[in-house]
Amino acid sequence: MIDLSKEKLIDVNDLATYFHTEEGTVKAVDGVSFEIYPGETLGIVGESGCGKSVTSLSIMRLIESPPGKIENGEILFNGKDLTKLNQKQMRKIRGNDISMIFQEPMTSLNPVYTVGDQIMEAILIHKDVSKKEARQEAIDMLTKVGIPLPEQRVDEYPHQLSGGMRQRVMIAMSLSCDPQLLIADEPTTALDVTIQAQILELMNSLKRQFGMAIMMITHDLGVIAEVSDRVAVMYAGKVVEYADVKDLYGDPKHPYTWGLMYSIPHIEKDLERLEAIPGNVPNPLNFPEGCKFNTRCQFATDKCRVDEPELEEVEEGHYSACWHVDKLEEQKAKQGRG
Amino acid sequence: MEWSEILKRLITNRLSLFGIIIVVFFAVVAIFAPWIAPPADPDEPYEIPRSGWKVAPTPPDAENIFGTTEGSYDIFYGMVWGSRTAFRIGFIVVGISTLIGIAVGTISAFYGGWFDEIMMRITDVFMSIPFLVAALVLTAILGKGLDKVMIALIVFGWMGTARLMRSQVLEIKAEEFIDAAYALGAGDTRIIFKHVLLNTIFPVLIQACMRMGSMVITAATLSFLGVGAPPGYADWGQMISFARNWIIGSQGNPLTYWYTLMIPGAAILLFSLSWNLIGDAFRDILDPKLQK
Amino acid sequence: MINYIVRRLLILPLILFGVTLLVFGMLMMLGPYQRLATYVQDPSQLKGGGLDKLITKYGLDDPFYMQYGRWAKGIVQGDLGWSEAAGAPVAQAIMDRFPATLELAILGVIPVIFGGIWLGVFSAVHHNDFWDHATRVFSTVGWSFPTFVFGLIILMIFYGVLGWTPPGRLSNWALELKNTEEFIRYTDMNIVDGLLNGNFAYVFDALRHLVAPVFTLAVVWWAFILRITRSSMLETLRKDYIRTARAKGVKENVVINKHARRNALIPVVTVAGPMVLGLLGGIVTVETVFGYRGLGLLAYQAATRLDYAGILGIAMYFGGILVLINLIVDVSYAFIDPRIRLE
Repeated sequence: MIDLSKEKLIDVNDLATYFHTEEGTVKAVDGVSFEIYPGETLGIVGESGCGKSVTSLSIMRLIESPPGKIENGEILFNGKDLTKLNQKQMRKIRGNDISMIFQEPMTSLNPVYTVGDQIMEAILIHKDVSKKEARQEAIDMLTKVGIPLPEQRVDEYPHQLSGGMRQRVMIAMSLSCDPQLLIADEPTTALDVTIQAQILELMNSLKRQFGMAIMMITHDLGVIAEVSDRVAVMYAGKVVEYADVKDLYGDPKHPYTWGLMYSIPHIEKDLERLEAIPGNVPNPLNFPEGCKFNTRCQFATDKCRVDEPELEEVEEGHYSACWHVDKLEEQKAKQGRG
Repeated sequence: MEWSEILKRLITNRLSLFGIIIVVFFAVVAIFAPWIAPPADPDEPYEIPRSGWKVAPTPPDAENIFGTTEGSYDIFYGMVWGSRTAFRIGFIVVGISTLIGIAVGTISAFYGGWFDEIMMRITDVFMSIPFLVAALVLTAILGKGLDKVMIALIVFGWMGTARLMRSQVLEIKAEEFIDAAYALGAGDTRIIFKHVLLNTIFPVLIQACMRMGSMVITAATLSFLGVGAPPGYADWGQMISFARNWIIGSQGNPLTYWYTLMIPGAAILLFSLSWNLIGDAFRDILDPKLQK
Repeated sequence: MINYIVRRLLILPLILFGVTLLVFGMLMMLGPYQRLATYVQDPSQLKGGGLDKLITKYGLDDPFYMQYGRWAKGIVQGDLGWSEAAGAPVAQAIMDRFPATLELAILGVIPVIFGGIWLGVFSAVHHNDFWDHATRVFSTVGWSFPTFVFGLIILMIFYGVLGWTPPGRLSNWALELKNTEEFIRYTDMNIVDGLLNGNFAYVFDALRHLVAPVFTLAVVWWAFILRITRSSMLETLRKDYIRTARAKGVKENVVINKHARRNALIPVVTVAGPMVLGLLGGIVTVETVFGYRGLGLLAYQAATRLDYAGILGIAMYFGGILVLINLIVDVSYAFIDPRIRLE
């Protein structure tokens, strides 16, 4: 259990980021709120297009503007509102207090500079050290992320490393300045399953070593289960469920989350069929009125088609944005499923 | 991407629309040349009629709408029939050299090995002589005449297409659906034609579009330098060679004979510009699809 | 990488051989009478009768390979034959005019490379705003402008009307000065010589004559490099590693100049070869339009007068330059892109 009495590291309130395109306004993130406490891992899970990446890019203020813009909301980092900072101030924070790693290790590193160069760059920007010292720090970081022969690797180019190693380099680069928060956007999605496990293991161990918080973004429920302390489930630009990881998996309180749980194979349970959630993710240019999940939800009523539910605390520390949590509970009881 | 979609996008883009309008304008002039500017001698329509024997050019007037150039050749006539010449050069040169390039590039890439190596060295050799110099030499050797110019341009104009086609085919070759086609038992020739060509043709088409403009410019340059169309032939470049002596104008007014240069010059510029705009737009439209 | 360079170096003579074969082949399409000039150092021998005897004497109706062999042997011994167009031995004519063309080419390449790349990057960074549109218009029109027309227009306006940029290389007084003993011709490049001789009026005169041809030459290729740099830069700016750099807190101008530009320039280097090819053609046009006494003008004169030896000599010379440039380009390619370097 996380000590919720500690000061929040990140406090996102009602964040809204829209993209103004020729075809219309895409409300990628539409009223999202969550918190991250120091040293915890918050998992953000959802299908492609639900707004999880845009949320993280909004925190880093890396949204391409035009056409994107943070329309509303605040992002408090240690009490400071990041939405009110200018680019110069944000640059001091990026790579330094808050770091980010991305999905594609194959293309996320610059091919014409050495791995060492790129790690040193982050160090030299934020810390007051000499080039020699920075180089040594880079080598140390490579050791910490488990890359063998770091004195050699540091002068190699990205194309000389495998995908897994490149992702380790990305992690080394992002942790080189000892950030308080690491945002990881689908860090293992592009990797082999076995490498995936290694990278997650590495991230967990580094988290203990460095004492940083992690915001883990992914669509993979297995990854979320493995690393998160708390989880926020996103759908169509909003957070629909928000709880402790055990509570989320053991006792989901939103039809979407519940549907997700039973659409994946489960090693312990013996399911006759995998049940996909009927329908498709709605077109972001044309979201339905009311609850955005209403087109695919078996519990939907007229109210769901008109009023959009807000996140409400249904149990201690467990929030859901649904008008009919009780109906879901009934269904769960009937089917003997949790 | 469907052709109708491509066409629609070409028309909505302002720049390519401008290009299309200009090309269509020139095309209309070229097609209706015999009516717009009836030839003096129907057997030799490309001979520009002369309004007299004056050496100095005369400015536009009632009889010669665009004036006359050195030797009293009617500029208007030259412009109208020059459009035909431009299209002739463009289509023939670009058409044939593109076909040669496609053939060379495809076969070379498809069969690979030493054949490919040799073909590429040959291409390198051809590409090691500046295009203009090579065309200049060949035209000088073959003699005067527009057809000789076209031959020279074709002989030295296929390499770019060959290289492009070859790299396209090599990319496709590496992809798996070719193996699938082999597995289904399709013969060599069928594979080449159907799968490979259709998927690789677009960049080549774009390049061909741009070359319409550049070939006409090169042909005009050759005519200007005196190794292309014979004097008095309805070719824009040839007409500018007449203007050469008069661009410094007469006593007192340096710009007296501006029309001898500017009118044919503008035609060449617009012709080339329009094809380039179309080619550019074409490339932009196809680009996100070409990105892998 | 060494393998790569060695391979390219070995192919060099092969390609040169191919070029000479090609040009020789073209020239063999001319009859023996026309080709007589190569073997005749003294023009007076060309007049009068006895041509048939000369033809047999020099083997001008011998089989192809024999004639080629003879010419090649001559090359190795440094004898390129006699150029009718220049009225001098080919080798001498080329060396004589080379500095002029070199001066023109160097001055022309500078705005092309630096201006073109800088504007291309600038345009991509200011994507879709006014300056981007302006540069795109300039580059498309520049690329479509026939060089000879552009040159003539410049002559018409800046010489005809304003009298600022006369044709030729030097005014009469400067030419006279150049031929005196006091003026030391170090390089035969007017600007350099003028500076080394400390004569600034001379330098200024040289510049006056160079401005127009340089600009005319550069315009087309400036536009070309601009377009390619811009589109390459746009594509590079979309790459993931640019996002990573920003996420590290790197300053935006460093992102552009350090991270993006070097990658964006890789495709630009690739077109350097074809660009030089085009530049050489442009030089012929420009020198002819401006009456600039360099290799380009000689090429034009040789071609139109069917100066057999002259054409061969110049073609070989140009071919050699091109092959060399391609080699340099290939090597620098390896320097810029470590992926190639380590193959």
